[in-house]
Amino acid sequence: MSLMDSLAAGLSLVGNVEAFFMLFCGLVIGVIGGAIPGLSATMAVALTLPFTFSMTPINGILLLLGVYKGGIFGGSIPAILIKTPGTPASSATILDGYPMAERGEAGRALGMALYASCTADAVSNLALILFAGWLASFALNFGPPEFFALILFSLTIIAGVSGESLLRGALSALAGLLLATVGLDLVYGTNRFTFGDPNMMGGLNFIAVLIGLFAIPEIIAMAWNPVAHLGKTRALGKSRVTLADYLSCFKSIIRGSMIGVFLGSIPGIGAAPSAFLSYSEARRTSKNKENFGKGEIEGVAASEAGNNGVAGATLIPLLALGVPGDVITAIIIGAFMVHGLQPGPMMFILNVDIIYGLFIGLIVSSVFLLIVGSVAIRGFKFVADVPKRLLMPAVLVLCVYGVFAVNNNIFDVGVMFAMGWVGYIMMRNRIPAAPFLIAFILGPLLEDNFRQSMLMSGSDPSILLRGPITWFFWVLTVITVVAITRSTLRRKVPLS
Amino acid sequence: MTTKSLHLRIGIATVLGAAFLTFYAIPTFVFSPSNVSNIVLAPTFWPYVLSGLTGIVGVGFLATSFFSDLSAQDHSDEPDIGPGLAPWLRLAALASIMALMMYGLPRLGMVWTSMIAFVACAFLFRTRHPYLALVCAVIVPLLLYAFFAHVAGVAVPQGNFVRLP
Amino acid sequence: MKLRTLGSVIALGVGVMAGAAMAEYPERPINMIIPYGAGGATDISARTIAEPLGEAVGQALVMANVTGAGGATGSVAVQNAAPDGYTMLFARVGSHSVNPAMKATLPYTLDDFRFVNVYEINPFACTVNVNSDIMSMDDLMAKANGEGLSFASSGVGSGPHLGAVMVLDAFGLEDANNTATHIPQQGGGAAITAVLNGTADLVCTNSSSLASFVANNQLRPLLVTTEEPVVGFDAPTVNELGQPGLNQLVGWTGIAGPAGLPDDVAAKWEEWMATATADEEFRSAMEARGSVIELMGPVEANEFIQGQYNVFRALVDNLGMRIEG
Repeated sequence: MSLMDSLAAGLSLVGNVEAFFMLFCGLVIGVIGGAIPGLSATMAVALTLPFTFSMTPINGILLLLGVYKGGIFGGSIPAILIKTPGTPASSATILDGYPMAERGEAGRALGMALYASCTADAVSNLALILFAGWLASFALNFGPPEFFALILFSLTIIAGVSGESLLRGALSALAGLLLATVGLDLVYGTNRFTFGDPNMMGGLNFIAVLIGLFAIPEIIAMAWNPVAHLGKTRALGKSRVTLADYLSCFKSIIRGSMIGVFLGSIPGIGAAPSAFLSYSEARRTSKNKENFGKGEIEGVAASEAGNNGVAGATLIPLLALGVPGDVITAIIIGAFMVHGLQPGPMMFILNVDIIYGLFIGLIVSSVFLLIVGSVAIRGFKFVADVPKRLLMPAVLVLCVYGVFAVNNNIFDVGVMFAMGWVGYIMMRNRIPAAPFLIAFILGPLLEDNFRQSMLMSGSDPSILLRGPITWFFWVLTVITVVAITRSTLRRKVPLS
Repeated sequence: MTTKSLHLRIGIATVLGAAFLTFYAIPTFVFSPSNVSNIVLAPTFWPYVLSGLTGIVGVGFLATSFFSDLSAQDHSDEPDIGPGLAPWLRLAALASIMALMMYGLPRLGMVWTSMIAFVACAFLFRTRHPYLALVCAVIVPLLLYAFFAHVAGVAVPQGNFVRLP
Repeated sequence: MKLRTLGSVIALGVGVMAGAAMAEYPERPINMIIPYGAGGATDISARTIAEPLGEAVGQALVMANVTGAGGATGSVAVQNAAPDGYTMLFARVGSHSVNPAMKATLPYTLDDFRFVNVYEINPFACTVNVNSDIMSMDDLMAKANGEGLSFASSGVGSGPHLGAVMVLDAFGLEDANNTATHIPQQGGGAAITAVLNGTADLVCTNSSSLASFVANNQLRPLLVTTEEPVVGFDAPTVNELGQPGLNQLVGWTGIAGPAGLPDDVAAKWEEWMATATADEEFRSAMEARGSVIELMGPVEANEFIQGQYNVFRALVDNLGMRIEG
């Protein structure tokens, strides 16, 4: 069947109001779900899944994809407004989005987040449509040694988000790595720092740590000094993003989208590392390096491009290999199977109409996201006007509900509170929180892939350099480390 | 506080922390089976590497506090809140609110605990809108409950006393 | 508002305490805990049965995923809950027969639960990458005894871990736990991916997770553990291969409550499950995914689980696989 025939077949499937309506509904649900911390895109997708059982396959899947894409963007709204990421993927957005909101530029930050998200989404969808087969077979070359090299390279991001002191950034990262060792050991299944508590055996919940580290210290700081914010022009964002803003960030957005596509097509990494990598690349190449972390709009653009770039690309391993790249796509695979569809190479032959129907729906989804997002921004912007001493207790209550909902476990609320105090102590000692978070995400991946490599080779370390992909990332890592060391020695990046 | 004294303080804490991990916490709380074939595969390997690195970073802090000219840059970005115990008392109060919430959640249920915590926090922060705070304290947890329990289908803890529909 | 609330707190509190024993079970929604994450086999199974079951119960079922530690976190949540029938668990082969057999430090034993039923059986299948030259169990064993074999699993003490060791042991590999290399992954999806990308040679897990990969000609099945062949899997059964002992190696999903669950509650569940599993839509949805719907009552379920546990426990003790720390 030629491309034109496939397109026509796809169009005949989605060429009705209902399919587009479902996509639109999905986006609305997703943006709202993503904007509620703890509910997150994952849960929004899981909650929508049962409704798709009775729909035609294409409508159901478009609905879920809409929720997914909407959720990833929606997460940036609370990240910017109340420093609480709605989804883990939007934690990088906090770094510059929240300072912008504090400065009274919430509107501008949100607008940029939306435009960057939509652009990255479009790039990601195009990559899916054009390169799915190629990227998928490339992703299958990623075994544990390749992952190890990639993650080692990703850890160099820490230098980019350490702020004023590399040493304090390193300390923060090490604390994150250490905290991530809590739980059951991967290879032997023994307890590590669990103190016999079954709640600790699964490791500390990522979202509880995340919210504890970012949102709760703000509340504690408010108890320390309830009037610190007075006199600052937080009150609202009449400010809007301009075309000039967008154009000046365009390079970062495209680069972030590419990073997202690349990391998204490899199963098992997810959107949060991609957002951080994109952020640190944008910072590295920016003229306004010093402004990053203090409310630089390019930082918001890069983070949001990085995480939305993943959204379309995670469908690459899903459609081409039948392999879920993250939890969300694992749920979406469930929807395929309920309808008797088996994602994988054969689907491109047996159900080519559905594949092309999805492609068409995906292209449209970027446009719909723009519409739904603009409305949502208008709806949520009022949050920036709420008196801060009323907002903070509300945030506290919201975080408690949200963190509980993630795993239905009160213990996680305790983890959040405890991490809140850790975060506050770090804040008071000017230790940045972002390296902690990156390390907490990447640490287990680094360790697991290292040990899996060692198991594969019978503890022969040469496996870590087994092929061109590993060489590539090792070289990148060395170059980056050398560059960081040199600029530290020249005092461009302060060590301390 | 100068960066110099900050680094001295962090440095001491970090070195002590690393020593604590290496000599006490890891041997006691990380279990390693006896039949580990290779040291790099042992469950304790990675924690030891990390605590070693932490120690090095700690020494780095101490070194920068002794040997560099950091005292020149005096950061005074900490807001001047005046002397006195009040801020510390407020921190302690917030910590107790959090502890009481943990105690109350399984017993009172999430909605009632949240209402009490909301009011307590709002007054701790000396809000200028006390009546609005009371109204919000009732409405916000109820709305969240309605959403999480009925839209999202989450089993919100109900407590032993008053159960909401 | 505040006063009235307080008043109703006291009034209702007294009322609830006095009335709890009298009221007809169930008088309020039942919390159903799923100890594994969204999108997994247990989750899909639980959410599929929730619909007909909810109708049979006549009360809402609140599904809650409590994940972590291979199902232990969620299981403990139910173990510690009040045995009033309002907190129930979707128990699974991993959390309630493999884990207890393998982990000495597990905070619960089978005696801490009362199983009200087992409703679903998943045959296990062993598969290799379709690009490998392993065509049959003979080839597999030749490789295992020769250059060495690696297998992937969704973690230490998971079904696929024990499953692969059990199969290799049954087919005569000496000291199967150490001779073959176990490469644990984080989760079932990752375990299959590990075989697809060549990290490991073999994965043995429930046929429903493997079905689409077999259909897409990405994985090659070597055996299935049922007596009857499994649709879609062009592989011999263990009985045909002369290893009927491996029939014990099946996945299952059941419902359990805390140990002190009263008899009348268990009886209710038996009734409800009979209605729910008879539902045509449920059956066809589950069977489409390769599950066998087989309802066992409380007694039968307990025997079945205990039997499987004993087989696993014997294997674990023989091969020194027990995790003590």
